[in-house]
Amino acid sequence: MWLKILGSLLVVIAGTCIGFSLAGRYVERPRQIRQLISCLSALKSHINYVAVPLPEALSQCTGGITGPVADLFHTMAELLKSKGWLTPQAAMLQALTETDRLVLSKPEREIIAVFSANLGGMNREEQHKSLDLVHEQLSRIQYEAEKICDQNARMYRYLGVCGSLAVVIVLV
Amino acid sequence: MGIDVLFKIAGVGILISVFHTALKQAGKEDMAHLCTLAGFALVLLWVVQLLGRLFNTVQDVFKLF
Repeated sequence: MWLKILGSLLVVIAGTCIGFSLAGRYVERPRQIRQLISCLSALKSHINYVAVPLPEALSQCTGGITGPVADLFHTMAELLKSKGWLTPQAAMLQALTETDRLVLSKPEREIIAVFSANLGGMNREEQHKSLDLVHEQLSRIQYEAEKICDQNARMYRYLGVCGSLAVVIVLV
Repeated sequence: MGIDVLFKIAGVGILISVFHTALKQAGKEDMAHLCTLAGFALVLLWVVQLLGRLFNTVQDVFKLF
């Protein structure tokens, strides 16, 4: 009897954890896109007004931001500093694969890759235009991600708890 | 027959209704219907076993061999 109760509790806890972690991915994505937008805005200022070299600009543009997005920019800056032969796009792609806990999905990864191909290869005005375009695209993706988050996060939480309860009922 | 199977069926019904509501709110109506169907199939599986036992009992009582 006690073994059954203990097993049921374990199943319910595991199911709830799975549901909440799946929901957490949906909650985390808009937040990371928002951080990305704010980093890119800071990078725009660094390119336009401070005019520091790219690795320094990348490591300075994450001021006040912690977490995977800041790690992404720091990794890219480190890569550009340590391996000078890498292009910004190659460094960004490598940083994207190296950074853990990044829940960005394919569209925003593609946008970042295209944006990093333009980085450092054009004059200041063109980079400004490119950053504006990226900002606009990311804002649209953020809006969509927030809508998806509203729909799915609650559903995954409910499904986690109720699914585990259903499994318990079937097994008991 | 124990009363517990009735409670089991009631529990599955309640949970399936919650599933249905959650999935419908998330805009996944096809998944909600699929989920209801899965719950129905599960309950049918239990009920069919009980019905089989009932028919066997009827056969035994009236000697229908």
